[in-house]
Amino acid sequence: MNDWRLAWRLARRELDLRFRGLRLLLACLFLGVGALAAIGSLTRAIDTELASRGSAILGGDVEFAASQRAATPAERAAMARLGTVSETVRMQGMAVRGTDSVPIELKGVDRAYPLYGTLALRGDVATVLDANTVLIVPALADRLGIARGAQLKLGTATFTVGGIVTGEPDRLGEGFTLGPVAIVSLAGIARTGLVQPGSLYESKYRVRLPTGASPTSAVDRFKAAFATAGWETKTRDRAAPGAERFVDRMGQFLLLVGLSALVIAGIGVGNGVSSYLAARRGSIAALKVLGATSGIIARIYVLQVAVVAAIGIAAGLVAGVLTVPLIVWLAGDVLPVAPRFTLQLAPLALAAAYGMLIALAFTAPPLIEAGRIPAAGLLRGVAGERRVPLRKTLPWVLGAGAAIVALALLTAEQPALSAGFLAAVTGVLALLAVFGWAVRRSAALLPRSRRPLLRLAIAGLHRPGARTGTLVVALGLGLTLFVLLAAIRTSIDAHIERTVPQRAPALFALDVPPDREADFRRTIEGIAIHPVIRTVPAMRGTITGYGTTRVADLKALPEGAWALRGERGLTYSATLPEGSELTAGRWWPRNYRGPPLVSIDERLAKALDLKIGDPLSYTLLGVERIARIASFRRISWDTLGFNFVMVFSPNAIEDAPHNLAATIDLAPGEETMVMRALLPRFPSVSVIEVRGVLGQVRAIVSQMATAITAAASVAILAGIAVLIGAIAAAREARTYDGVILRTLGATRRQVLAVQALEYAFLSIVLSLLALALGLGGAWYVVTQLFSFQWLPDYAAVAATLIGGAGLTMAIGLIGAWPILGARPAQALRQL
Amino acid sequence: MVISARDVTLTLGASTAATTILKGIDLDIARGTSVALLGPSGSGKSSLMAILSGLEQASGGRVQVAGLDFGTLDEDALSRARRGRIGIVLQAFHLLPTMTALENVAVPMELAGMPDAFVRAEAELGAVGLSHRIGHYPTQLSGGEQQRVAIARALGPRPDIVFADEPTGNLDATTGASIMDLLFDRRAATGATLIVITHDPALAARCDRIVEIGDGRIVSDRLR
Repeated sequence: MNDWRLAWRLARRELDLRFRGLRLLLACLFLGVGALAAIGSLTRAIDTELASRGSAILGGDVEFAASQRAATPAERAAMARLGTVSETVRMQGMAVRGTDSVPIELKGVDRAYPLYGTLALRGDVATVLDANTVLIVPALADRLGIARGAQLKLGTATFTVGGIVTGEPDRLGEGFTLGPVAIVSLAGIARTGLVQPGSLYESKYRVRLPTGASPTSAVDRFKAAFATAGWETKTRDRAAPGAERFVDRMGQFLLLVGLSALVIAGIGVGNGVSSYLAARRGSIAALKVLGATSGIIARIYVLQVAVVAAIGIAAGLVAGVLTVPLIVWLAGDVLPVAPRFTLQLAPLALAAAYGMLIALAFTAPPLIEAGRIPAAGLLRGVAGERRVPLRKTLPWVLGAGAAIVALALLTAEQPALSAGFLAAVTGVLALLAVFGWAVRRSAALLPRSRRPLLRLAIAGLHRPGARTGTLVVALGLGLTLFVLLAAIRTSIDAHIERTVPQRAPALFALDVPPDREADFRRTIEGIAIHPVIRTVPAMRGTITGYGTTRVADLKALPEGAWALRGERGLTYSATLPEGSELTAGRWWPRNYRGPPLVSIDERLAKALDLKIGDPLSYTLLGVERIARIASFRRISWDTLGFNFVMVFSPNAIEDAPHNLAATIDLAPGEETMVMRALLPRFPSVSVIEVRGVLGQVRAIVSQMATAITAAASVAILAGIAVLIGAIAAAREARTYDGVILRTLGATRRQVLAVQALEYAFLSIVLSLLALALGLGGAWYVVTQLFSFQWLPDYAAVAATLIGGAGLTMAIGLIGAWPILGARPAQALRQL
Repeated sequence: MVISARDVTLTLGASTAATTILKGIDLDIARGTSVALLGPSGSGKSSLMAILSGLEQASGGRVQVAGLDFGTLDEDALSRARRGRIGIVLQAFHLLPTMTALENVAVPMELAGMPDAFVRAEAELGAVGLSHRIGHYPTQLSGGEQQRVAIARALGPRPDIVFADEPTGNLDATTGASIMDLLFDRRAATGATLIVITHDPALAARCDRIVEIGDGRIVSDRLR
């Protein structure tokens, strides 16, 4: 204890309030922890906002939803016993005005809607939502070029636009939509003629519970009474589970990217502390001469580093918190909700813990080494350096590293994904370290050039104290991430833009009446040249059990079992559907009349450990049914056709009222023509252009890429900090070189050329390395994980690389500038 | 004897690069005496001082200082052994640049756990004529003043033994002479054993005993 007090006294005396010598430590921890704090705080703030506005987002305290049917009187009465009920109906539809048509999300609401929040209209107009009125969002008004008072057609009925909706309180809770929203009354939706037995609509019943009533127990009571009716329920605590899941997973991924940046910052931390201690070798040896033990020496510098690290971490946390409102402002509508300013302690604690562990991992070796500087070093120009055995430093480094991995996995939404990401980053770092070593060795082994400037430039890469190895790692990871992201983003973008439209149909059509299928085909074939029309029966249903397992009893869904979440599309087919390949079991005969059978997606079968012959129970139109699993299929999802996880034998579900869904392949430019021909004849059919869907997907991919690139930028910034630190650490040696060169007659331009050459070598090596690793990683992600075509935009990748390498060179040269200013006579006196 | 060295050898480097610096030194030094280790550059006198002061471990032989067998002590134990027992003055001063003169002098006493370290440091600085410079940093002091601080730092804990390695090597003749006067005066005042490493015969002549070193061996040992 006394030793710590004494060490603290001595540490305090030496510690500079301007943090001279430890600024790299400060900057790197500030950057890394700041990024993690910002990402974690933003994610948590969005979650908090989603939870606090849960009732408004959901449109009630609880919600009961069912497809293709309304609640039975008994169900409705049970809901009414829970509290005030509001009923809405949601379906895909078409808004038609003249020859213009737009796919929309049609929503019918009762008079109680909205139970929470306010439906805001432009200009605050007061509108009675009667059976002839429709409220539309600005996007629909713009697409059709209409305003309040205009008329448009929905299904078979004409409506007058009563107002432009500027705020739909339950928008987020409704989830992903294909098209802008149009709101009508329940009487209005009945007028459209779109809600028919078999049409794909969803009924939602939101309930406002009495004050103090528990949403969970309300849901439990209802589900206990109607266990097999297939009701999908939500409570206000998880009003938008899809958005919440997306935010959490994206946040988790960004946190891992930020953690990688913090590892790079850790290299800066280690370098900074090494340089600081190297500058204090004389003092350390002097303290040893005066009787200080290695323990006291280590304590002195541990305390100094701890103080500065704590300040860096604290400053990073503050900056992270303050950055959140800025991100919210910059992101605009991209975020599901705009969170208010809140202090989120858990993500801050996590960011601080990561910062401390990284500081420990990277500062332990130089600190332990400092304690072992021999007193005799003073007598030999403090050159008497002793290598610290690995067994002294490795436990600290490995311990901190293990703690970081444990923390990352324990706090991960998807531990397996996190583990894979961490393993990949560790692999890349190890590879970069090997390359860094190889570059240094190669520079040392190169034949000595006859040109002195070139010789000096190459010597700069391998001279004692050169930071080439760490620079390759620090700058290499950032550049690799940038190349990786550029290649993945441009490849996915090109795939969606070029390849998907070639394979995907031009149009989707929903709710085609089965008895008019022939008419539907004739209408299209009468206009288009060689259209390909594929139709499938389309229903909605929920898996309620498999084998001996009831889905309701599962605490968490098994990994990959997303099909158990809510309702899924159901279909039946006498033959194996196009785009599917049988991997196990057998397909049923064409006129099969035995017990109901079902064929399952092989990935779902694997996730649920299903066996051929297992029973599968599901709810269709409120009635639970059972089918036996007859086969597993491999589905080719990227065709963008109708692919169903579950395909039943016709006798299993064909008795339920249903419509058909269709995919229509057309020659380019025929879409509008076909839509105009279809809509007057089939007012109940919704037609969706694939182009519009792809636009939405590309926008989402672009937003995700921007977010990831922003997080990866911190890795670049940390790399630059490491570079600046390395330049500062080598300044004395470089000043010496420069002064001696100039004493011998070199011009300042020649001295600068030495630096330029050295950083040019480094930049070229880094670029090639980042190109190889980044493209390799991107190829794997694009072709193996996404099964997309490899179509990177090499110009964008090259621009990224040139930008990164140019920045490296520019910073190197700016760092060399003060060396040129040194006057030889004056500098020689100081050397 | 406060110092006893038997057949001390020192070899630096390994295998083909190994250089033997000391080649079997036998030396006894009585308490309270002043001894000059005299010799040309590279003769091994500084290395001998490093071993006798515990800054370096001998490769062979036996070294006993103030009753402690230095050969059995590790680096940290040697550091502890120096506390309060051994003071060292070096040619290049080696003051801690981030500490004031007072703090520099107090450090070894703080390390030795002396509660009145700063009071004693202030007194010691007064004794070397630097009362007016106690709050100054090394860079704000002249070479002579820095060496005075180094002498105060070495003698502050009242050590049994003081080593001075070329203490005037970095100073002009006048300042050097005044520093040596001070060193001998302070030694006389404290009663410490003084071992001065020098290649200056005139300086060596001020000591009670002159031990001449050449090529790693004692070539003469005479009382004055």
